[in-house]
Amino acid sequence: MSTRRQRRTVRFACMILIGLLYIVSVPWYRDDGGPLRLWFGLPDWVAVALLCYVGVALVNAVAWHVTEVPDIADGSEDREAPG
Amino acid sequence: MNFGIWGVVSLVVYLVALLSVAEVARRARRDTSPSDHFLAGRSLGTFVLFLTLYATAYSGNSLLGYPGRAYRDGYSFIMATGFMMSIIVMFHVIVPRLRPLAVHHAFVTPGDYLRLRFSGPWAKPLRLAVAVLMCLALANFLLAQLKAMGDVASVVTDGRISYAAGVIGLAAVILFYETRGGMRAVAWTDAAQGIAMLLGLAALLGWLLTEAGGLAEITRTVAERRPSAVSLPTARVCINWFSTIVLMGLASVLYPQAIQRIFAARSGRALKRSFSGMTFMPLATTLVVTLIGVAAIARFEIANAVDTDEVVPMLLRDWGSAGGFSTWAALLVFFGALSAIMSTADSCLLSLGSLMSRDLMGRAGSDEKATRLGKHLATGLLVATIPFALWRELTLWRLIELKMELLIQCVPAFLIALHWSRLRAGPVFAGIIVGTLFSAGLSLSGVTRLAGVHVGVVGCALNALVAVLGSLWPNADQPRSATPAGASS
Repeated sequence: MSTRRQRRTVRFACMILIGLLYIVSVPWYRDDGGPLRLWFGLPDWVAVALLCYVGVALVNAVAWHVTEVPDIADGSEDREAPG
Repeated sequence: MNFGIWGVVSLVVYLVALLSVAEVARRARRDTSPSDHFLAGRSLGTFVLFLTLYATAYSGNSLLGYPGRAYRDGYSFIMATGFMMSIIVMFHVIVPRLRPLAVHHAFVTPGDYLRLRFSGPWAKPLRLAVAVLMCLALANFLLAQLKAMGDVASVVTDGRISYAAGVIGLAAVILFYETRGGMRAVAWTDAAQGIAMLLGLAALLGWLLTEAGGLAEITRTVAERRPSAVSLPTARVCINWFSTIVLMGLASVLYPQAIQRIFAARSGRALKRSFSGMTFMPLATTLVVTLIGVAAIARFEIANAVDTDEVVPMLLRDWGSAGGFSTWAALLVFFGALSAIMSTADSCLLSLGSLMSRDLMGRAGSDEKATRLGKHLATGLLVATIPFALWRELTLWRLIELKMELLIQCVPAFLIALHWSRLRAGPVFAGIIVGTLFSAGLSLSGVTRLAGVHVGVVGCALNALVAVLGSLWPNADQPRSATPAGASS
């Protein structure tokens, strides 16, 4: 049971981290006007976005690893009662 | 570019290989039920599932259209890598809940979930509304793939096969292997097509980097030729960046062919592993096509924005003209593009057949007749679509853009319904009507964004608001509490 809870906690943390990486990937916080700076052959803001997306891929892979995808319904699915 | 007779020979070999796979898939079938035909008997293992998800997710637009967008927008199109990845993130919201239900209740189409989840007088209108939106989006997608197939066939064979013959001939091949082998044939051919796509893209990028002397050199040349392509995006572009991530993430998980692959997996474990692998594919595909488009800025000038879709053919023309290995490598890229197009078209067609027979016409049986009806409907739709594909002047761009704006309106019916038991059919139906009228109306009148946010995203927010507030509204006629499984099946 605790393992299941731990997995859920890790998955939740992964989702938060992915959200933060997406927020950082878009350069809304940067000031324009500086000279072109290259990182790994890319403009620095592109390299930051790309590093964020590499991070998203890695964290998402971890999230999928800890996600339980059962093949048997546990009998508690939500369903609208007949009207 | 001159592929000579080898272009035609390669195309014939490629098509014969596809048809052979269909025959093998037909012999591998277990029975004639819709589950076996449309979902390969729920037998797809990790490797095939991963490649079919990959080949289906990356269409001809990804290989031919995205480099054109990157050419126009410059490095800000790096957002595409993010939004393609957001799709695999969003699958977390539906897969763990939907997969066990799909196995337990033997779902074949997305409508089967709605049939289980919603009841009351508004359940049927809701199912129909969702089915109509999904069919419209898929038919739209299919039409775009048919047009792209004709173009590629004509280029690969240096015009020996005309555009019209390419559309009709390749559509016939898809129809043959799809109706003969069903999802099994589609998934197996997708697997081979996915590999061709990856090899083709890697070869093209490798050539571009070698020719230009590395990525840094490309970036410097682009900065000299068009400074805006490397400069920081404006605030409006940043808002659009976020909006696109939301739009693509939410809408793409609702592609019926993607949902049906959740049902078709052999096990939850196979599904998990496939998605773990899929999360890295935007780095191997979308990032690569973005860099190809940006690299093209350093090589040539295209004045007309509409012609930027020609970026990849122009690059291949440069590359292929060197002769020898280059010609063969360029041919491989074209087959990669053709593979991407055909794998998307076949998945659309298969899903359309099942959606029209089960969700639109209500034929949810498990017998051979239901399978046959799905095949006949798919055939009829394909035949009806071909004249539109042959009409070359038809501008599809607005309709293609509309595809995502329509699909995203199905979010409350799946993403919210899977997690919130109080959601009711009536308000969800009302929300879909409000959201669709809002986003389709604005989109068709030429307004695609509000302050940088896609109208589909705004429409989806309105839609969800109506669905949630309506479900919270006291309704004496209809109890809202959730019931345990099996209580009302």
